[in-house]
Amino acid sequence: MNSQLTRREMLKAQAAGIAAAAAGMTAPAVAQPVAGGVSALEIKWSKAPCRFCGTGCGVMVGVKEGQVVATHGDMQAEVNRGLNCVKGYFLSKIMYGADRLTTPLLRKKNGVYDKDGEFEAVSWDEAFDVMADKCKQVLREKGPTAVGMFGSGQWTIFEGYAATKLMRAGLRSNNLDPNARHCMASAAYAFMRTFGMDEPMGCYDDFEHADAFVLWGSNMAEMHPILWTRVADRRLGHPHVRCAVLSTFTHRSMDLADIPIIFRPGTDLAILNYIANHIITTGRVHEDFVRNHTVFVKGATDIGYGLRPEHPLEQKATGAGDPGKTEPIDFDAFKRFVSEYTLDKVAKLSGVEPDFLEELAELYADPAKKVMSLWTMGFNQHVRGVWANQMLYNVHLLTGKISEPGNSPFSLTGQPSACGTAREVGTFAHRLPADMTVTNPEHRAHAEDIWKVPHGLIPDQPGYHAVLQDRMLKDGRLNWYWIQVNNNLQAAPNTGNETYPGYRNPDNFVVVSDAYPTVTAVNADLILPAAMWVEKEGAYGNAERRTHVWHQLVQAPGEARSDLWQLVEFSKRFTTDEVWPAEILEANPGYRGKTLFDVLFQNGNVDQFPLTEINAEFENQEAKDFGFYLQKGLFEEYARFGRGHGHDLAPYDTYHEVRGLRWPVVDGQETRWRYREGLDPYVKPGEGVKFYGNPDGKARIIAVPYEPPAESPDGEYDLWLVTGRVLEHWHSGSMTMRVPELYRAFPAAVCFMNADDARKRGLNQGAEVKIVSRRGEIRTRIETRGRNRMPKGVIFVPWFDASELINKTTLDATDPISKQTDFKKCAVKVISAA
Amino acid sequence: MPEGAHHISSAVVTVSPAKLQDVLAELSKLDGVEVHAARDSKVVIVIEGPNTGVLGDRLTRIALLDGVITANMVYEHIDKQEVAET
Repeated sequence: MNSQLTRREMLKAQAAGIAAAAAGMTAPAVAQPVAGGVSALEIKWSKAPCRFCGTGCGVMVGVKEGQVVATHGDMQAEVNRGLNCVKGYFLSKIMYGADRLTTPLLRKKNGVYDKDGEFEAVSWDEAFDVMADKCKQVLREKGPTAVGMFGSGQWTIFEGYAATKLMRAGLRSNNLDPNARHCMASAAYAFMRTFGMDEPMGCYDDFEHADAFVLWGSNMAEMHPILWTRVADRRLGHPHVRCAVLSTFTHRSMDLADIPIIFRPGTDLAILNYIANHIITTGRVHEDFVRNHTVFVKGATDIGYGLRPEHPLEQKATGAGDPGKTEPIDFDAFKRFVSEYTLDKVAKLSGVEPDFLEELAELYADPAKKVMSLWTMGFNQHVRGVWANQMLYNVHLLTGKISEPGNSPFSLTGQPSACGTAREVGTFAHRLPADMTVTNPEHRAHAEDIWKVPHGLIPDQPGYHAVLQDRMLKDGRLNWYWIQVNNNLQAAPNTGNETYPGYRNPDNFVVVSDAYPTVTAVNADLILPAAMWVEKEGAYGNAERRTHVWHQLVQAPGEARSDLWQLVEFSKRFTTDEVWPAEILEANPGYRGKTLFDVLFQNGNVDQFPLTEINAEFENQEAKDFGFYLQKGLFEEYARFGRGHGHDLAPYDTYHEVRGLRWPVVDGQETRWRYREGLDPYVKPGEGVKFYGNPDGKARIIAVPYEPPAESPDGEYDLWLVTGRVLEHWHSGSMTMRVPELYRAFPAAVCFMNADDARKRGLNQGAEVKIVSRRGEIRTRIETRGRNRMPKGVIFVPWFDASELINKTTLDATDPISKQTDFKKCAVKVISAA
Repeated sequence: MPEGAHHISSAVVTVSPAKLQDVLAELSKLDGVEVHAARDSKVVIVIEGPNTGVLGDRLTRIALLDGVITANMVYEHIDKQEVAET
């Protein structure tokens, strides 16, 4: 007993010592790490990035007897320096939910596939036979525009890359879009429109250099706890640092706010133009920077709301035909344009105290203050999300506060590889790798050359984006559909009317690859069991351009296979003669009779690295099955798109050794700040600052107005509905709801509501209510206390709970430029369910 | 996850300096939570219990305490030897 106590005290002292080191505190003498305590356990530790959000924390994964038994924050990972948030703490459990899918399941009746049948276990052969038959039938009858795939910002880089090859060059369809459309598209479009190149110029190192932080529509305290710790350390450790938090309700991040700002939904646009106006009228424009590095444009206005074309709002919108159009203007025209956004006018419109607005504007205007702006879904899920992103760049560009340590407009991400896969690989309906697009003939030809496939194969029209895929499934124009690594029936807007009908449309065959029976999976026709996270070799790219690779550490259960294995194995079911046009094969007879596997994956590039190059300490299921180091082959072929073009990646093997590297990686060195001489190898001596994504080397400052949301509260639907996440759960909860402890911590969604609003409706704390919109309704309970404190007229409902599908009530309005849904602004009423 | 093991985790809690004493008082009320160091805005704690569930519950509760800005785990030791000996 005594020895046990001593041992336990020793273990506690060791744990505390490591935490003290992570916190940057001197460890007390008793808390020095003790050697030998851990090694006795015989756990094999390996590095991996976390499976959850876009922060990209490094974790150490402990494996014993073929199972992940523990994880902890990786002390060597620069991102999190040993820390691990509560979701990350439960990483070891996400793979071991009781209802893990372990075999393909097909809807059958009387022994054959039937859309109205019940799910029965089938072999991979039978699953792929039926799936390929259905695909070929649709291709024969309707052509490539009737097949599609919905992928993910949680795909590994290899998976996204294999998918884009299979869909665009194999099946010849651009109907490939990631769920990142719902979370990142506005940010990505704004980067392209402003800088001609996607992704942030800065990085997380900015946290330790900034004098002020401004959160625009982001609750980092709950959604990005590790990065919030870095903000808090900077703010609390340096008294001069200021923090402004803008939101439509009071949440945990407000605790750190020196300037707390609650604004009326949608009026952030007006606030941004006010700040630009303030900078100009107080004479704080950085004139040299603006003259040398920017040009001014004016955007199309009255651009509609991305609803179905017959919707009255679209019919009325005069600029909906070409929402992305811009025309050149000059500084004086811009100055006149923003001059109407006066303090008085914007304070009234936004409902914000003028003093707070002025304090906020001064953070940007004061040339002595380095400002880091941070945003996530409040900006991106916005019917004017591209504008909001661009208007913030306006402010940073007018003051020259960009591309240097601490001066950083920084778009945070929500998924682990929204950047690495969805954006860099280019799995959007219009994109190719390295920021290229399918509409550009040179880009298509370049991709076809790298892929070693005939010219003319990649279709030249963008495919259906996420919301359009749902509409086309419902309308019967998209008939074969493969969903991987996402839960769209829970995540998409207005699901009852626009998503579910398409999945169950008798003309359609819907396949879902997932690790768990999500609401999406159980409404499909075929479910394919997926391997997840460290059950496969993988690579993710985080929000600061960091590419991070991991080894397969354990085996997937049963017959579950990675999405990569599924994509590549499925390609063997098609021959070029079945899916490529006769004229292309006539002109390129060498491709006749080959399978898509032969031409896409056994093409001399992807299969060039033998199994002997794999580290013998680790399993690699896919490599073993296909006979070559598939992941390395895909990565090296993919890397050819970006090397020498500002997207340089290091040699693949390097990534197994490091805790990720931020691209462009040139001469073995990562790049922390882009576009500035001395920091970015692509900016030549004497150039100073160069936004080289644009041919003229200059960034765009855009004049666009405040325009109202698609739907605002009225007499009947009298409340704003905002949806989002909570600390305990990640996205639709398909992983975190299977961690019993996280489930118990927050088992069911609730409706956060202002106490006066509740009282006015005769509702008490905990009362069961119906939330009703013009689209649908759900039942939930009222929460007037707790972590989110709502202003009058606004409710917040998290969307993780499959038993309370809040997206039955949301509106499928999108930003007309990015096609990203606005999940933050629609009108509902709340009535008693009693 | 094996039943019966003893889990020991350390965590770093970031607090508003003005509320450090309040947070320490709240932490002292939680079962299985020990404060090992505290200074300005940082508190190092050790959480222990029979499974990760109990530990995660504690961490979540701590993360949502008034005055706490963030609470993050650092290191976990799963002491299985304990079970064999008992």
